[in-house]
Amino acid sequence: MSESNKKISLISSEGEAFEVSEAVAREFEIVAHMLEDGCSGSSIPITTVDSNILGKVIEYCTKHVEVGNVEGNSEKAEKDLEEFDKRFIAVEMNTLFSLILAANYLNVKGLLNIGCQKVADTIKDMKPEEVRSIFNIENDYTPAEEEVVRKENEWAFQP
Amino acid sequence: MASSSSSLIPVMKDRECRSWSELPYELTSSILRRLDYTDILVNAQRVCTSWRRVCKDPAMWRKIDMRDLGKFRYLVKTLYHRHILDLSQGGLVELDMWYIGSDSLLDYIADRSSNLRSLKLDLISMITTDGLTEALGKLPLLEELELSRYTLSGDSLRVVGQSCPKLKTLKLHSLKIRPPGYGYGYDDDALAISETLHGLRFLLLFGNCLTKVGLNAILDNCPDLEHLDLRLCFNFKLVGDLEKRCSERIKVLRRPFDSPECPYDEREIHADISDDEVPFVPDVNSYDIFESDSDYSDSD
Repeated sequence: MSESNKKISLISSEGEAFEVSEAVAREFEIVAHMLEDGCSGSSIPITTVDSNILGKVIEYCTKHVEVGNVEGNSEKAEKDLEEFDKRFIAVEMNTLFSLILAANYLNVKGLLNIGCQKVADTIKDMKPEEVRSIFNIENDYTPAEEEVVRKENEWAFQP
Repeated sequence: MASSSSSLIPVMKDRECRSWSELPYELTSSILRRLDYTDILVNAQRVCTSWRRVCKDPAMWRKIDMRDLGKFRYLVKTLYHRHILDLSQGGLVELDMWYIGSDSLLDYIADRSSNLRSLKLDLISMITTDGLTEALGKLPLLEELELSRYTLSGDSLRVVGQSCPKLKTLKLHSLKIRPPGYGYGYDDDALAISETLHGLRFLLLFGNCLTKVGLNAILDNCPDLEHLDLRLCFNFKLVGDLEKRCSERIKVLRRPFDSPECPYDEREIHADISDDEVPFVPDVNSYDIFESDSDYSDSD
């Protein structure tokens, strides 16, 4: 059982167990705090995150722990990590939404940052109608309210 | 959407169709803050009412950088500025402004931004000295002031010193750079600084005409000064006792003949502007100043 001291099971909302090293689990700040507060159990329920998303967050944290452990962290390793982040976050919008919520809840700051940046990069230069359609947002403005906002920003449309 | 457990947090499921307007406020804010102002005002806030609430939050508008407005005409820029300032609702802390501005706009800013800590202005030829001086008089909490390609008289500097007692950083990039032996020294600015700005820690006088009298006065009267930048100041020789005094007193010293390329981090952010808005680097080559190493007159 000596090995198990260093392993922690994270349990998804469906009850599926993901066994990870303590170092990876600690990348979830919420888990790190639990461990520091004396939580001694080897399995930690993450009841608000489903298996698919939890698996992805673990994949992200595992990669970052691995690269962090490499001796003499080289420029190349950093570049690789950047590439990994880029590929990792290139997911469809619903997954991105869940990843951002999960990263926020589990307090994985790096993941939250690349998730929010990915959304911002997507929105950039998009018309409101395009944003609504891609992000599944209903236009809840009344025509009168819409007119108020349009008037407020009339300056931007002057020739 | 609540999960079956007692927690109020919804389960984060993959492949579930969710509306992004349900994202918690602070996360939406963290996303929208990464957009430029035009995107926020013209597009993002029109998406839905919850995004609009985020975009109108004064917290979103504490730091305003108005250097990227090349795409708008002058009148539009002015309207834009007023609109953004209104959004800050008096909470503006940092303002960077380039290429635009008038006395009335500056007055508008000063009247609404009494919490302003940092003000950086560049190429603001339409702002008069009186207008600027009056506006600065309304910013008692100002800690950092940077003026590029603008000349402020000694009298105005005195008013600034009296109005902004917390000023720790002052950066003045002179409009005209006079090469060595090509002009006369005067200590109007330096004496005004030494008389009123005793709390300075960082002073940059790029291309200033001060002589060793003014420099000594600053060293005498600004005891907290740690960082002194005297590049392109050619009306004194930094030798002998004066050199010794500067080296001993000042932690970071830039000398008159140090390269005028801008080495500070905060200038580096100017690199992302478009080609027709090149950052300020004085055209020293036209003066040949780095080849003449001794042929310049001292003022004394």
